[in-house]
Amino acid sequence: MIIAERKPMKELLEMVSDVKRLLIVGCRGCVAVCSAGGDKEVSILSAALRLGVKRAGGEIDIHEDTLVRQCDPEYIEPLNDKGAKYDAVLSMACGVGVNFVADRCPDVNVLPALNTTFYGANLSSGEWKEMCAGCGACVLHLTGGLCPVARCAKSLSNGPCGGSQGGRCEINPDVDCIWQQIYDKLSSMNRKEELRQIMPIRDWTTAGHGGPRRRIREDLLP
Amino acid sequence: MSKIKGFCCNYTLSVEVDALKEEGLVPEDLEIERLPCTGRLEVPEILDAFTKGAEAVFVVGCQVDKCHNLSGSYRASKRVKYAKKILEELDMNPDLVEMFFAGRGETEPVVEAARTMASRA
Repeated sequence: MIIAERKPMKELLEMVSDVKRLLIVGCRGCVAVCSAGGDKEVSILSAALRLGVKRAGGEIDIHEDTLVRQCDPEYIEPLNDKGAKYDAVLSMACGVGVNFVADRCPDVNVLPALNTTFYGANLSSGEWKEMCAGCGACVLHLTGGLCPVARCAKSLSNGPCGGSQGGRCEINPDVDCIWQQIYDKLSSMNRKEELRQIMPIRDWTTAGHGGPRRRIREDLLP
Repeated sequence: MSKIKGFCCNYTLSVEVDALKEEGLVPEDLEIERLPCTGRLEVPEILDAFTKGAEAVFVVGCQVDKCHNLSGSYRASKRVKYAKKILEELDMNPDLVEMFFAGRGETEPVVEAARTMASRA
């Protein structure tokens, strides 16, 4: 899922410093699952902003709402009218949601409440880890399902660098060397000989280096 | 809003707050809100207490391993922890909100909590 985290309160208070009527809009998609922008987080942010604005000597009228998703047009459609009645709409969706509201709701002054961080998995309650870089050219079938693009600090394609020591990455002793893990995984499956095959130089255009990406499935088009 | 706001689990405090005030055991500007369980308490309620004028807020729940609802007071303690983080972000003293634990029907820990928070306010 997409992982995000709330922006620091100081940044958010600065963002809404001129706002008198604010609508905070959560999203029940990924950001709700990673406890960054669901109903509960909307309620907490609303209370925190009220307190922060009051301490700064200001006044703000905050309303709350949460949409099923902010990345599908049918769910953000009502924001066109509703959001325009506010000085600003503070979106607690990921960057996709904020962009989509900005695209589809021309009269809405949409602001981001979150920093969108990565595609990750939930390791345990309160802990998430990056697992995918969304590079658009998956090689997981060659690496035992472990991603060298997202999980190697250098996104190396053909084995570890010299900074791999004792199974750890040189950037931080708490970070596993994913290439060590790939080697161990393929070895355990009697597939380590496959690592002798050199991966070709990657084409990074699919990773966004060729501009904003777009996917079209003809059979689903209206 | 009173200066000191307390949220108490229904199973802890066994005496009416007014009686404690008459005895001079707790600050006059103390307000206690009883909850069926502190696990019901959410972060916004803690923050809203400050917004409404409280200078210090405390929560008293059951001892963690003796919560009537198993994990209610533990959940409350985690919410207090998060409220502290938000207070810090707002340049407020995080010690202005605190979690305390008390045995069933014990009034003394609640009195002590109220006094402690009054001294911090």
